[in-house]
Amino acid sequence: MVSVGQHENIEILSHSEVEEVGGHVGNFSVKVRKRARLVNEDLCTGCGLCQEKCPAKKIPSEFDDGLGTRTAIYMPFAQAIPRVPVIDRDNCRYFQSGKCGVCAKLCPRGAIDFEQEDQIVELQVGTILVTTGFDLFDCSRISQYGYGRWENVLSSLQLERLVDASGPTRGRIVTKDGQEPKGVAIVHCVGSRDKNYNRHCSRVCCMYSLKLAHLVKDGTDAEVYEFYIDMRTGGKGYEEFYERLQEEGVIFVRGRPAEVVPHEGRLLVKAEDANLGRLIQIPVDMVVLSAGLEPRRDAADVAHVFGLSRSADGFFLEKHPKLGPVETASNGVFIAGACQSPKDIPDTVAQAGAAAAGAMAMMDKGRVTLEPSVAQANIRLCSGCGECVVACPYSALTLVDGHVEVDETACKGCGVCVGHCRSKAITVLHFTDEQLLAEMEGALHALEVA
Amino acid sequence: MMDEPKIVAYACTYCSYPGADLAGTSRIRYSPNVNIIRVLCSGRVSPELILRTLREGADGVLVLGCHYGDCHFISGNHRTAKRVAVLQRILEYAGIDPERLRLEWVSASEGERFAKIVDEFTETIRQLEPMERVLA
Amino acid sequence: MTRREPLRKAIEGLLDDVEGILALRRTSGHVAPHLFCDSGELDELAVSPKYPLPGTLRLIQAEHPEAQLAIVCRGCEERGLIEMAKRNQVNLDRVVVIGLACTAEEAEECRCAKPYPSVLVDAHVGERAEPVVDKLADELRQKDVSERFEFWRQQFDRCIKCYGCRNACPQCFCPECTLEEGLWVERGEVPPAYPTFHLIRAMHTVGKCVGCRECELSCPAGIPLTTLYALIRQEVREMFGYEPGADLEEQPPLVLPAEVES
Repeated sequence: MVSVGQHENIEILSHSEVEEVGGHVGNFSVKVRKRARLVNEDLCTGCGLCQEKCPAKKIPSEFDDGLGTRTAIYMPFAQAIPRVPVIDRDNCRYFQSGKCGVCAKLCPRGAIDFEQEDQIVELQVGTILVTTGFDLFDCSRISQYGYGRWENVLSSLQLERLVDASGPTRGRIVTKDGQEPKGVAIVHCVGSRDKNYNRHCSRVCCMYSLKLAHLVKDGTDAEVYEFYIDMRTGGKGYEEFYERLQEEGVIFVRGRPAEVVPHEGRLLVKAEDANLGRLIQIPVDMVVLSAGLEPRRDAADVAHVFGLSRSADGFFLEKHPKLGPVETASNGVFIAGACQSPKDIPDTVAQAGAAAAGAMAMMDKGRVTLEPSVAQANIRLCSGCGECVVACPYSALTLVDGHVEVDETACKGCGVCVGHCRSKAITVLHFTDEQLLAEMEGALHALEVA
Repeated sequence: MMDEPKIVAYACTYCSYPGADLAGTSRIRYSPNVNIIRVLCSGRVSPELILRTLREGADGVLVLGCHYGDCHFISGNHRTAKRVAVLQRILEYAGIDPERLRLEWVSASEGERFAKIVDEFTETIRQLEPMERVLA
Repeated sequence: MTRREPLRKAIEGLLDDVEGILALRRTSGHVAPHLFCDSGELDELAVSPKYPLPGTLRLIQAEHPEAQLAIVCRGCEERGLIEMAKRNQVNLDRVVVIGLACTAEEAEECRCAKPYPSVLVDAHVGERAEPVVDKLADELRQKDVSERFEFWRQQFDRCIKCYGCRNACPQCFCPECTLEEGLWVERGEVPPAYPTFHLIRAMHTVGKCVGCRECELSCPAGIPLTTLYALIRQEVREMFGYEPGADLEEQPPLVLPAEVES
């Protein structure tokens, strides 16, 4: 990410949102709202003094998913690019009471700007790559697992924060009371492969659950139990990693837990061991829920802005499941990574490369090959009534000298004008009435119903 | 009642046709009575085309497009909806069962829905007289 | 006729302002449209039977786009002018409209819902008559689909494809008519192809037909076309709130995007 930030041909617009996309491939106009972070990016050096001195210290950190805290002026995480903090207005004392402003007083560069306003940036671009990622399944939806109800039921992402040496516990895997757990249960397929929540498999959870199991084994003396349905470890070296975990003494139970309940100061995981054909109850000190990957909560809005369709599972729809995994039905708009479907880092990098190559090929060519299906007017048949002009969703038609004229660059060939015209004075190339009628006649006369 | 209705479906390129394709790649079974003709947008389908299709002997005509808000051509499907609604009333007043003409929105990911619509529509048409007899 | 004198006066008053006034003239026992340019011609002025004058106006304006003209307009003719103006077929800027209200008998004969002009002008001549309910339309509404099929099949079977309905209709101004196009309607068939000939025509009236009944008046087989189109017109009114001829600014419904509640 640092090299991205330093690259002279890349401009990062962070803390920003795309509001509108107009135009077409080769000529998109994109309206971006750069939200006010209240810190001047050009002056800030990322020294971090403001964070050190900010008196509002106990705000739950989003990055640590509630396990850690941050200040009101903060960088989202230690490696954030650009290295410029943002002020959380809701928790900032200056905005709450009008007093404080310590950061502004202390900043050696005078980079704090409480008056900063949102900025609208208009971009003209030729291609667009949408790589908006995923959201984690909200484990509290499965109330019988106790997330948000009992202490020490964590999501997988929360455990990631615990094992991180620069995280809220400095890498120590501990329960809420600071003790090392003697038993840790990792529950697979939370919110995935489940008719009640998401039918799809989230693809990455088996591997990350194994990784977490390995790290717990490495960092504690805890007994680790993995409750799984199937082990999906199909990538390069993945099956070998699974074997290794078995050798490390992780206990694999084939069975989806029914319930997690508090019991004598610990947590009891109730499940069926399908291999033994027995119901079991395993007491542990920490339960980790391997949460699945979902489309982002605002996927519908984002899809609308960029003209993307979505598949049944809500992820963005690729042009073709086999032959067009990173293109979309909107020419010039590409998708890559988890926003298209759950996938891990190697696959995301591959898709990103594919999408970038697709975009580069277009831009390198410098010319776009248009679909040949455009409207064509027959002015001899046109009465100049102008109804088609109103019907066209792209305003590609005008009346010139009392007859319709087609703007071929604006016309997308939808044929709404043709469907409407009573005089049949307009047609769409390659979808003419003669052609459609011939297809229809063939369908009705030449084919037998099986 | 008729044995095997002959139905022609006009499906749009970006939503309903891939939806039908998905039914195929997912190996979903559905009635074989429907023949699909692809157009770029459901808005391409004119009332004349629908009437000629009935005249040619189709027992039923299915017009398939994108859900509101999803049309690849922004609002082509709006015009389709209005046109088909009016044509259904015209058929009804003229004494031709308006059930012979049906408009449905199918998205590119709705393979199952496409199959269900085809099955239901085939059954509906099966209960009617063959169009041949109506035209005679 | 009590309307003839006031109409004559109205026309005479305009003769100096316009190059001609389109109205009806009786000669040799027949009534036909005529462009009155001279008060001497007004002895032959006739008020009825009605004739689709807007169609004639369109033809005159096509040849003489700069001419200042006037036209005598009944309710249906005013509606016809409005729909034609929306579609760039007549230029209302160069037209003075003389409003003529139909008598109760005329309204009854036409089963007319609004037998007087009220949008461009009010009736200068004649008293407003009451709107008339189309009883045949009501009867047809009560029938089920198979009864309607019997009724209309029997009607359409008498059609001799004379195109009188299309010729008389003031809203039919396509340079070439799809009903004569072999691609849509088989040529050389009488009665014409069912249901394409009649239902394509019916579809074409949507958003345009103003209920002037000229089609029915021209039909040698006496097919009650006006009723079919009136039934459709009501559906369009209910579905889209659009009434042909009611408003010069309103766009026809089929070309507009729908108002969708999200």
